[in-house]
Amino acid sequence: MDDLKFGKRNKRGDFTPNAPVETAPLFVFPPRPLAFLKWLPHYFLPYNLLFAVLTLVWWRWVLPDVETMKTFEWAWILRLFIVNCVAVFLFFGAFELRLYVLRAQGTRFKYNGKWPAEQRSKAFFFERQNVDNMMRVFGAGLPIWTAIEVVILHAFATGAAPWLSFAQNPWWLGLLALIVPVIHETHFFLLHRAIHWGPLYRWVHSVHHNSVNPSPWSSLSMHPVEQLGYLGVAFWHLVIPSNPILALYQLHFAGFGAIPGHVGFDKVELTEDMAVDSHAYIHYLHHKYFEVNYGDGLIPFDKWFGTWHDGSPAGDVRMNARYEKRKARVNAVKAA
Amino acid sequence: MAQWFEACGVDDVELEGVIRFDNGDRTFAVYRSPDGDFYCTDGLCSHEAVHLADGFVMDYEIECPKHSGAFDYRTGAAKRLPPCVNLRTYPVRVEQGRVLIEVA
Repeated sequence: MDDLKFGKRNKRGDFTPNAPVETAPLFVFPPRPLAFLKWLPHYFLPYNLLFAVLTLVWWRWVLPDVETMKTFEWAWILRLFIVNCVAVFLFFGAFELRLYVLRAQGTRFKYNGKWPAEQRSKAFFFERQNVDNMMRVFGAGLPIWTAIEVVILHAFATGAAPWLSFAQNPWWLGLLALIVPVIHETHFFLLHRAIHWGPLYRWVHSVHHNSVNPSPWSSLSMHPVEQLGYLGVAFWHLVIPSNPILALYQLHFAGFGAIPGHVGFDKVELTEDMAVDSHAYIHYLHHKYFEVNYGDGLIPFDKWFGTWHDGSPAGDVRMNARYEKRKARVNAVKAA
Repeated sequence: MAQWFEACGVDDVELEGVIRFDNGDRTFAVYRSPDGDFYCTDGLCSHEAVHLADGFVMDYEIECPKHSGAFDYRTGAAKRLPPCVNLRTYPVRVEQGRVLIEVA
C-alpha cells in the first residue's frame, strides 16, 4: 500500500498524515447530527465491542463465583493474575509481533521512522525500550491491574459496594455501559493533566514519556503510581451505583484500550489494498510534543483548554506560540 | 580568558552531522550544517544531561536522542519541548582543514 497517498514522510523517515485529526462530534455546539451518525459506528468498532466481549468472557470463564470472591484467597487471585498476563501478552504481543518484530508493513504509515529496538537509550532499563517497557507492564502494571480487579470484585461480593442487577436497572446500567468510554476519557484527561504538573511529571509521568517513539509495550509502561491512577478509573464503579461487570469493562477499557494510542502507525495494513485507521495520531502527537492532546479526543477537553493539536501547520503555530511564551518566561528567570 | 581549541578536522563531521568534543571537564557538540558551515553548542541537552552528539541533525536543528527536544544549533535556541532553556553557543572558525572553537 502506498502510504504517501495518505501523507508525507520527512528526511528522517517520519510519516505525517495529510488530513488533520478531529475530535469526536460529541459535546459540540451547534450539534452535528449527520457527523455524529457517521461517527457512531467508530464508537463501538472495533475496540469498544472487543473490550466488552472480553469482559463477558472474563465474567463467564475466568472469574470465580461470588462466594469465592468474598475472601482474598491466593488461588483465584493468582489464577486471575496469570490469565490477565497471558491476555495482555497475546493482545499487545500480536501488534508487536506483526508491526515491530515481523515488520509486516515496514515503515509504511509509521509516525517515527526509527525502530525502538534499534535505538539504545540510558532512559531505559538495560538501555532497551522493549525490555524496559515489558518489565514495567508485567512487573508492576499487571499486579496493579489485578489488585484493582480483586478489590473491586471483593467489594461487590461482600456488599461493600451496591450491586445493581441488570434485570432491575436495565436503563441505568445500559446507559452506564454506553458511557464507559466517556468516564474513561474524563478520568484520563484529569489524571493526565495533573501528572504533567512539574514535580509530578518528574517523579511519575516522565517514565511513560521516556518512550518518545512509542510501541505496543509502551502502552502501560508507566510509573506504578500512574498505573494505579490510570487503571484506577474502575474504582468509579464503587462510587457510582453499578455492577461488577461494568466495573470490569471499565478496567478492560483502560488496560487493553491503552494500545491504540501507542501502536505507532497511522494505519494497520490488513491486506495489500486494505488498512484500518489506528486512531493513534492524537496521542502520538502528545508523545512527540508533550504539552498537547492530554485527552484522546472523545470529548474535546483539549479544545476547551487550549491544548489541542490536530497535526496541521496551524496546530504547530498555536503550539509554538504557547511554547515561545513559556520559554521566554523560563529563560528570563534563568537570566535574572 | 577565551582560548581557541582544535575540535576536529573538517572531514570528521558529515554534512548535517554532529560530533562530540571534550575539553577538560567540559563537553561540546560540533555541527556541520547542510551548507557546510560549522557551529558549536554545549554538549548536553538543557533538559536532562544527555549528549546531543547522539542526536539527530536535520537542517539547522539538533534533536535530543532522549526526548526529541530540539534546538537551533546556530543560535542555541530551544525549539521544541521538553527543553525550554537555550543552549550556549561558541564561536567557530576553520583553519587549514581544522575546526577550532573558542571556549571562555
